[in-house]
Amino acid sequence: MKAEKLKGHLDLLLLSVLSRGPGHGYEVITRLKVRSDGAFQLPEGTVYPALHRLEDAGLLASGWDVVTGRRRRIYHLTPAGEAALAEQAAQWREFSGSMARVLGAPAAPALATAGGMA
Amino acid sequence: MSGGTGDAPSDLIEDYLDRLLVSLSGSPRQVRHTLAEVEAHLRDAVAEGIAAGLPEETAQVQALERIGPVHAVTGRPAGLRPPAALLRRLTLTAALVGGAGFVAIGGAGLVGRLLQVLKGNLFMTTPFPPGTYTRADCARWLAGDPGTRSCVTAMLADHAFDYLLQAAACGLLGLAGLAAFLFLRRRWSDRATATALPAGTAEGLGAALAGVAAVACFGQAVDLETVQRGVGVGEPLSLGIAAAVAAVAFALALRHRQRVARLRAP
Repeated sequence: MKAEKLKGHLDLLLLSVLSRGPGHGYEVITRLKVRSDGAFQLPEGTVYPALHRLEDAGLLASGWDVVTGRRRRIYHLTPAGEAALAEQAAQWREFSGSMARVLGAPAAPALATAGGMA
Repeated sequence: MSGGTGDAPSDLIEDYLDRLLVSLSGSPRQVRHTLAEVEAHLRDAVAEGIAAGLPEETAQVQALERIGPVHAVTGRPAGLRPPAALLRRLTLTAALVGGAGFVAIGGAGLVGRLLQVLKGNLFMTTPFPPGTYTRADCARWLAGDPGTRSCVTAMLADHAFDYLLQAAACGLLGLAGLAAFLFLRRRWSDRATATALPAGTAEGLGAALAGVAAVACFGQAVDLETVQRGVGVGEPLSLGIAAAVAAVAFALALRHRQRVARLRAP
């Protein structure tokens, strides 16, 4: 999937990935790839400004720890982040459900007529 | 510097981190933290590549391709100097130079008050020429100075008082400006704002403006001394002294700023 398409949903994806447990940037990207079966490929660097923005907004918090011999910044969801994730996930499910219904429905006669006229 | 591969000049990861360092904006702490986490990320990616059987250089290239260009990490297009940062820096410069300037005028008021005590109101201010003021003006000035019956004496006292009052008001305004400068400087301590204008711009501008003001005021004081035999010299003289002090203070601050900039230069 193209990175541009993911940009609008990156916050939700990051919140969702971190809802499964705290993690550092590289870990977050790895989880994102694994959970999407490799479908979500984006320049990995774009994750950092998004993580920082979410932290500034109070949806994430971070602390430093040494993991596998390297000092790393570990991010975790705050209560506000959990609430935002629940709200955004509900909105996404409603949107995707509506999209699925529209895309799954047979073409409306009016649309077919309009297509024929063009 | 050690001779390890991590510090070798040809290390692609080090080159990338160097470019990232000079492109990041934010407070020094934010910059350090981002740099540290991106370095950990890149080292992880390289280690993963090597573990998969790639030569180190290929693993580095692959890690850099995956993380994307520097502007992906900074979150803004490469080479773009944010107008917001420049605007902030200009605001800080205006607050510092303006604040210090108005404080200097307040200081001129203090010098003026001293001159008024030592030399009198005639030294401080020039009386209006006869015929240019009305009886009503005289009555107003005399009402403000009941201790005298001379209209000219009362007029001089009124003018001197106005000068000192205006200088005090400017001083208070200047203190408010400097307080705003200190407050905003703490709020806008990010690197982009700090580097939006060359180091020492505010100090240099302040020194130049105060220097010009000092020369102009001293020139006027000398002119009044020679042409009017000292009448009205006090105002430009006090302003000139305050401007000269401000110019010296700005020049010293500029020298300090340039020394710090030289020490920080690579």
